[in-house]
Amino acid sequence: MKQSGNVLSFLGIAILTLGISILLILMVGSNVNQAFFSFLSGIFGSFYSVSEVLVKAIPLILTGLGVAVGARSGFINIGAEGQLYMGAIAVTCMAFWLNDLPAILMIPLVILGGFVFGGVWSVIPGFLKARFGISEVITTLMFNYIAISIVGILVRTILKDPSSSLPMSAFLPDSATLPVFMSTTRLHAGLLVALISVVLVWILVWKTPIGYEMRAVGLNPRASKCSGISVYKNIVLSSLISGGLAGIAGVCEVSGLHHKLLEGISPGYGYIAIIVALLGKNHPLGVVISALGIAALQVGSLGMQRMAGVPTSISSIIMGVVVLLILARKSLFRRLLPDE
Amino acid sequence: MALLSMKNICKSFFGKRANNRVCFDLMPGEIHALLGENGAGKTTLMNILYGIYSRDSGVILWKGQEVSFTSPREAIACHIGMVHQHFMLVPTLTVSQNITLGLREKGYPFPDRKALNATITEVSEKYGLEIDVNAYISSLSVGEQQRVEIIKLLYRDAELLILDEPTAMLTPQETEYFFEVLRKLRADGRSVIIITHRIPEIMSITDRVTVLRDGCNVVTEKTSDITEQELSQYMIGRQLNSIQREPIVPDAGREGLLLEDVSLKEKNIKGLDSISLQIAPGEIVGVAGVDGNGQKELVEVILGIRKQSSGKIGLDGLDMSSMSVLERKKLGIGYISDDRQQDGLVMDMNLTDNMLLKTHTEQQFIKGGLINARLVWEDTKKVVEEYAIKTPDLNTPLRNLSGGNQQKLILAREMAGDPKAIVAHQPTRGLDIGATEFVQQQLLQRRSKGCCILLISADLEEILLLSDRIAVIYKGRFMGIFPNTKDLNLSHIGLMMAGRTSEVREESL
Repeated sequence: MKQSGNVLSFLGIAILTLGISILLILMVGSNVNQAFFSFLSGIFGSFYSVSEVLVKAIPLILTGLGVAVGARSGFINIGAEGQLYMGAIAVTCMAFWLNDLPAILMIPLVILGGFVFGGVWSVIPGFLKARFGISEVITTLMFNYIAISIVGILVRTILKDPSSSLPMSAFLPDSATLPVFMSTTRLHAGLLVALISVVLVWILVWKTPIGYEMRAVGLNPRASKCSGISVYKNIVLSSLISGGLAGIAGVCEVSGLHHKLLEGISPGYGYIAIIVALLGKNHPLGVVISALGIAALQVGSLGMQRMAGVPTSISSIIMGVVVLLILARKSLFRRLLPDE
Repeated sequence: MALLSMKNICKSFFGKRANNRVCFDLMPGEIHALLGENGAGKTTLMNILYGIYSRDSGVILWKGQEVSFTSPREAIACHIGMVHQHFMLVPTLTVSQNITLGLREKGYPFPDRKALNATITEVSEKYGLEIDVNAYISSLSVGEQQRVEIIKLLYRDAELLILDEPTAMLTPQETEYFFEVLRKLRADGRSVIIITHRIPEIMSITDRVTVLRDGCNVVTEKTSDITEQELSQYMIGRQLNSIQREPIVPDAGREGLLLEDVSLKEKNIKGLDSISLQIAPGEIVGVAGVDGNGQKELVEVILGIRKQSSGKIGLDGLDMSSMSVLERKKLGIGYISDDRQQDGLVMDMNLTDNMLLKTHTEQQFIKGGLINARLVWEDTKKVVEEYAIKTPDLNTPLRNLSGGNQQKLILAREMAGDPKAIVAHQPTRGLDIGATEFVQQQLLQRRSKGCCILLISADLEEILLLSDRIAVIYKGRFMGIFPNTKDLNLSHIGLMMAGRTSEVREESL
């Protein structure tokens, strides 16, 4: 009864989402069949389209993983976007500064640098929360604007490419770019970085005493304190890892995809990351699946716009609807689920 | 004719029968006790009446009419009111604001506060429920808060008052005062249902008593026609093992748990005031007192969860005044908190993870930097068998276990590795008699192994049953420490719990 109720409620969510999508498609005056066909072919239609899903999934996995690690210890990180930008700054600065290093040293160094920059950007709110009880929801969010503005300043001043009139940096030296898997696609080695991060985070959170403490603090800080676990230490640590992972996402975007620093390097990955973590239930594997799903939704909606004339904004609306339905699931489907 | 009659009420949670064809009748103007162990279905039955739970089957007749409330609001509209065990008051509002909360009185949303206060005072004076209507709830004692809850119901003209464990937090004197109020309510033709498991109180105040056991009716009888022994038999349904305490075996080599002049001052409020105490190995010292007189502060200072402002705390000659919680625990202090769900367990974690709360820092459970899951699993399995913890499997979140089984897991965890001292704060709160007995036996077993035990309980009977010495705490101070002998003056202890010390003042009362 309990299990089938759960399955039924998710089926209900799927049907409602589908219904709302159809309504939206009809509202913009497109053909529903054609829209769905173009959506699916936008994802699975070609080798390239599938690789595009993976390209989009890389930053979503990393930032989503970051948000999830934070959430495990009760650190609500709204600032993955800003931390991603900090990571992007780190990789760009380091690449120009250490430009004669070979790739084998450069790549690990810039990843580490991105981790540290992103981590610092999030450990400050983490410290403020742990030490003074200041809400990290506000501070991390505010830090986004600062980071984005810093990028804006940098690409117009010291990092500006002198040979171009646009506010962007020059191309990174080759040693600082991640290799592309297949020359016909944009899929780069950032995918490996993301997947390795997933495995490492999974081991850290689920297999080590440190991860255990972080989870315990997230679920019941009071009981943790009474058992001698330092709530302070664990919040600071998890905020560091959380921001660090988002920083690595910034590294991958710059050195894997754009090969330079520019304004608007992330179309809101850091915010979508919150949804990725939420849908993935803050579990590393869940994060991978939900990141792939959301990336596919975005890539598919591009196909839908190209071929059926349905605006891509629909994908954002649908994402919002899904999140709303998942959050409201327990009360919407109260009758199906057992009393709590 | 009965004022209220509930017939064949059934209610299941997760396939477990909480109420099984329960019948209950209430006459107008009677005080009726609903007696049973924890988990017998008393509160469930009343929550069904009050519209908090829906019943699976059965009929409720109120003044001869069939009713079925879907929310407390509807029950209150029919003049039925309930005071829950945990009060539903807003601490930052005044008494008067709390009483009229949710009512759209004349002039709403700008009611005439003076007129309302006059009405409230009229109601409260009628039943001897003295209260300052302009006081803030946060400044009131537990007894006064209870008065506010009752006035709240009377203000809404409740003809039936349901009181869930009303005396649990009161001193003996406050309880007597409270009974006076109940008698006045009865004289006024109102009916009262008291949910309780305290038999002596039933004998002194109620007209009739209904006993429930395992969700079923056992008996309904006039209180005057039944004895305490019979009631106890009905409630438990079996014979209790009586608890035997052997004399202490002194262990000269150990100093035990020592508190020297320990004080705690937080935000200019004195939580503890020069507490000195030495607990010998193999001794149980019970601390009696009304909840909120510094008990929580005392245990948390001993554990290092709060830092004392002055004084010294030591164990077996080792000064641990400035040690962290973890260091103290590693020294061998087991801690049973009064709030197991908040302080002792992570309710959303499973059994093995909750055992890890202590063992994740122990080297034997770590292998190559990783938690040795197999060993933890085996350790937990052993504990589950040894303490007979009822659980579907080791992966069940603690949330889904009963209170008794949750408490057993805490005991198992905190008593592992032969602790030198145990701080047990309300270790049997909310447990049924079987589980209570188990916990008490465990404490006595530790005592005979030379453990120093500090037992804090609001239940005076428990203190009397287990302690070698009894300390009475009031406003963070020890009013006195006595050996627990047969000729102990109980009323004396009761008065000390209420803050009175000298014999002279006792007589002048």
